[in-house]
Amino acid sequence: MTTMIQVENVAKTFTLHNQGGARLPVFDDVNFSVEAGEALVLAGASGAGKSSLLRILYGNYKPTAGTIRITHAGRPIDIVSAVPRTVLDIRRRTLGFVSQFLRVIPRVSTLDIVRDPLLARGASPETATEKARAMLARLNLPERLWSLAPATFSGGEQQRVNIARSFVDPSAIMLIDEPTASLDAANRDVVVELIAEARAAGSAIVGIFHDEAVRERVATRYLDITAFRKA
Amino acid sequence: MTVHATFPEAALEPAPLLSVAGLNRFYGERIGCADVTFDLWPGEVLGIVGESGSGKSTLLRCLAGIDRPDEGEVLFRGGAEPLDIYSVPEQERRRLMRTAWGIVHQNPRDGLRMDVSAGGNVGERLMDRGDRHYGQIRERALDWLTRVEIAGSRIDDRPRQFSGGMQQRLQIARVLVSEPRLVFMDEPTGGLDVSVQARLLDLLRVLVRDLGLAAIIVTHDLAVARLLTDRLMVMKDGRVVEQGLTDQVLDDPHHAYTQLLTSAVLGV
Repeated sequence: MTTMIQVENVAKTFTLHNQGGARLPVFDDVNFSVEAGEALVLAGASGAGKSSLLRILYGNYKPTAGTIRITHAGRPIDIVSAVPRTVLDIRRRTLGFVSQFLRVIPRVSTLDIVRDPLLARGASPETATEKARAMLARLNLPERLWSLAPATFSGGEQQRVNIARSFVDPSAIMLIDEPTASLDAANRDVVVELIAEARAAGSAIVGIFHDEAVRERVATRYLDITAFRKA
Repeated sequence: MTVHATFPEAALEPAPLLSVAGLNRFYGERIGCADVTFDLWPGEVLGIVGESGSGKSTLLRCLAGIDRPDEGEVLFRGGAEPLDIYSVPEQERRRLMRTAWGIVHQNPRDGLRMDVSAGGNVGERLMDRGDRHYGQIRERALDWLTRVEIAGSRIDDRPRQFSGGMQQRLQIARVLVSEPRLVFMDEPTGGLDVSVQARLLDLLRVLVRDLGLAAIIVTHDLAVARLLTDRLMVMKDGRVVEQGLTDQVLDDPHHAYTQLLTSAVLGV
């Protein structure tokens, strides 16, 4: 088995300098690893720091202490101390983040948004278009919307664009934060299938799922992060 | 399960395009910018953010060869030999600024020749570079006008007949036509209406990505920084108080001043 993520001694405390220097400890001494082909589901009550941990794994939040080695292009790189251009390269080629929100860029069409990760990894425009169309169809997004920018789409439609973009070419590691929050049952099933397929193809998955049924269908292992709560 | 040792990070490219070390600029007793040191790599887009008077525009002028710093060096690796831009003769620095660099000014009037046609504004940079074939120059100028979404029928109009947004797009065409390695932008969307800003931002985003440009962008607008830049330097009172990956600095700011900046705006 290949270790894709190795978390060692990670701690996070937020310090709010403009609110009297208030310190908000989140967790301390977090240690775990994730192998290729695993789906690790983060558990713990709301406010336990699940989303913060996921953002730390992505290099979006900076931990107060610890290292996170991401296996990138065959070798482990500490994403905590890596320089920005290395973090961006890791994200481009190895590490994907699926959030419940789509960051809409003005004027870019839905099809282009979904094609983009394939093009960034060197796929031909024809292949990228074909795969993007197939993914949008699978997520039941009406074809008349594909040429439009998603700024005016509903929450559920935007979320499906986001999922299509993330799963059109699954990354070796996928960090997933509540992907099914505003989806109907049929589309929720598609997302569960997409995650299972990515995992079967060798992706390592770390996710947060509030929906218990989804959680149980996706998880191969649970990590209760309440255990790392600062005493 | 094997636990690997962490390898030292291998360089993705052989060398930085720009290396800045110990840059200081004083105006009498007052600090313009102080102790600025960083590397910029090919294809990287760096944002410099801060409020008015934070020193970000002073720093940009020092980096771009416009304003000589009191101390420090700016090393550019664009050609065979690395070039310390302030130790070479004025003439050589000017040549570099015309050919390998581009500067997009906040006010298009500072970057355009207002009494020369749109086509002339773009073509002039090619002539600076040594191009002499009139037909080819006009053809390339036309191509660039189209890329910045200015109708080809406007090629013989003067910039003063253009709207502010069009003037800014023309300035960008004038800068990019000579294929610079490095582009400096000072508040490129400042002074434009919000709807015009969005169009310009999207255009810049696509051009920077497609051309693989390295760029340094000064802005006070954190949404602009988020959309266009890979990494950020946050300046206050002439000094860099925080720097790092753009989304990390904006989403998990550590310095008191950065926390103040990011909490003062809605939804960046």
